[in-house]
Amino acid sequence: MRPEGKWRLIRFSITALAMFAVWMLFVWSLDLFSLAAGALGALGIASLTYDVFIARHQANLRFFLPRPVHLAIYLCLLFLLIYQASFRMLAAVVTGRASPRIVHFKTRLRSDFARMVLANSITLTPGTVTLDLNDDHLTVHWFFCSTTHSTAAGNEVKGRLEAYVRKVWL
Amino acid sequence: MTAMMIREVLAACIFAAAVLFGTAGVIGLFRFPDPYSRLQASALCGTTAVLTTCVGALLLAPSWAVASRVIVIIIFFLFSAPTGSHIVARFAWNAGTPVWRPDRLRTLKGRRKAP
Amino acid sequence: MSGMLFTSMQWFMVFCAVVCTVRLVLGPTAADRLVALNVMSGIVLAFLVLRGVQQGRHIYLDVALVYDIFGFLGFLAIARFLKDRLEHEEES
Repeated sequence: MRPEGKWRLIRFSITALAMFAVWMLFVWSLDLFSLAAGALGALGIASLTYDVFIARHQANLRFFLPRPVHLAIYLCLLFLLIYQASFRMLAAVVTGRASPRIVHFKTRLRSDFARMVLANSITLTPGTVTLDLNDDHLTVHWFFCSTTHSTAAGNEVKGRLEAYVRKVWL
Repeated sequence: MTAMMIREVLAACIFAAAVLFGTAGVIGLFRFPDPYSRLQASALCGTTAVLTTCVGALLLAPSWAVASRVIVIIIFFLFSAPTGSHIVARFAWNAGTPVWRPDRLRTLKGRRKAP
Repeated sequence: MSGMLFTSMQWFMVFCAVVCTVRLVLGPTAADRLVALNVMSGIVLAFLVLRGVQQGRHIYLDVALVYDIFGFLGFLAIARFLKDRLEHEEES
């Protein structure tokens, strides 16, 4: 019972702090009123929804707390990959040459949050769109398909992204 | 004065790239025959061009209050843009839209089947 | 010079939005129309950012921020509604 309650408190406080941070980003002022309203709102909503945002079985802090240095490197890599894929897409629009396919592959990431980030990053790069994410199984529409073999396609599509997400979130 | 000039020239280059990507995305919206490919091509206009425009606007921001807000907008855009594309793609997938296969691949497959 | 840059970029955004509207009207299936709407939401966001930075008023940027975050709720509602209708048609 003891560790259960402690874990619940940790999840609750992380949810409340994250909500308060987003609220402060929105209002961008240090008035007493906005601070109080934000704190009250964050506590109220977190007490209702902490179980939805961080499920009970995600039992590791590194499942949802990023490592800051690696997060910054990851964002830079993401921008680089977006522009690289954009130029490839630009060439495809001009020449009209493409080979779209739907491929399936698995990811080795373990937490729901990291999988969500990986799926979002895959969608963000032009040329690949995530159609479905079911536990660790991703369905991706790939515009420059070279292979339909699951492992090889997975390496081509998620390759460097997954390696870096693993460093940030586990 | 010169610092402003440098910022303006850089921003002009970035905006030119945004115009390039935006035009290509809009062309791609009409060039490909099925919703998935259109979504992929229009991501050039809906994601890359918008990001590039925001970075260019960040360079020209007149004050820190404006610049910080543009940075927050870019960060939230990194979350909201793929969510929108994913909703559209998932809708097409659930509606059972077939995937467009260019002729080149179809002939290859036919040749493999023939013997 | 920067004023001219902002104005021309805003006109470019308006042009893109008009072309997307053509796709929105033409689009043979509902998915095509949703794709055009998706692009248009990004274009409107870029327009709001350009406008806000040009005028130097952060109240416009707050509007852009809220539009950015809640923009996809519209598609979610439309997609859900159309999906329900598709399933209904299949049943009947």
